[in-house]
Amino acid sequence: MRDLFRIGNQELSSRFFIGTGLFPNPHVQKEAIKASGAQVLTFAIRRINLESARDDSILQHVQDEAYTYLPNTSGARTADEAVRIARLARASGLSDWIKVEISANERTLLPDPIETLKATEILVKEGFTVLPYITDDPIMCKRLEEAGAAAVMPGAAPIGTGLGILNPYHLGLIVEEASVPIIVDAGLGTVSDAAQAMELGVSAVLMNTPVAKAKDPVWMAGAMRLAIEAGRLAYLSGRMEKKKYASASSGYEAFKLN
Amino acid sequence: MKLVINGKECELLDVQTIADVVAHYGLTGKPLVVEAGGIVLTAEQWGSALVHPHMQIELVHFVGGG
Repeated sequence: MRDLFRIGNQELSSRFFIGTGLFPNPHVQKEAIKASGAQVLTFAIRRINLESARDDSILQHVQDEAYTYLPNTSGARTADEAVRIARLARASGLSDWIKVEISANERTLLPDPIETLKATEILVKEGFTVLPYITDDPIMCKRLEEAGAAAVMPGAAPIGTGLGILNPYHLGLIVEEASVPIIVDAGLGTVSDAAQAMELGVSAVLMNTPVAKAKDPVWMAGAMRLAIEAGRLAYLSGRMEKKKYASASSGYEAFKLN
Repeated sequence: MKLVINGKECELLDVQTIADVVAHYGLTGKPLVVEAGGIVLTAEQWGSALVHPHMQIELVHFVGGG
């Protein structure tokens, strides 16, 4: 079954976007990315450490494969800072996609919705393909869509917590209302969370920590891939209604022994 | 010439262009992006972009992230 979706002018078959942070080493990272089947990789932009000769650029490890790169604006606290980082990212010539990520609180890293909307408006005007990371608020997600976001990425829970989907009701509403792809970004912990997100009808899932911090990141990447596919198929299949009482699979009255 | 590179004051000798600054740190050919005086420069512009005393220069690259 060909089950594609589109972001900007890119058609994608994998519904797993994978982050490139926190892996124990570049080899494990590369193998995990391969096992994930992901077509979209996220990364961050930082100052080069000029005192150390070590080449820690992420690109040297993944450049040989054909991926779509989704740089983020992590570290930005305002729309202006995010726009600056986005411009730097685009100057690399690798991608005009940008994940707007603006955190105003160091403890929760929750996105600042007002600055995120501002940055999205500016970057859309500048021709970027904008994927804002945002709280799981249905109205805010709609506002970002109206501002021209190519996809909207509500968080399931704060970044790196692995708490899973804290508000499935909101996520379901967001999907119902959306006319751009919804991608759950941040807060997932394990395969059941990823499957649940897909069952709720989101277009894709973005994960980093649950894979990178698993005891075996390569296996977990493969497991997540299966969970995302399973969740997607379940969503398309349409689950049964929940009932309060039992109903026998073979009928109960039909066969009695007295 | 005194420059502010990645937030630190540096004294670099014999640099006239951004390409010279990149070469000074042995970064020629590496995947990096430069912002000089608040303007983002593509790699093709480095050779012709002149540096001025006390110019603020950012040398950034891609690192792992989610």
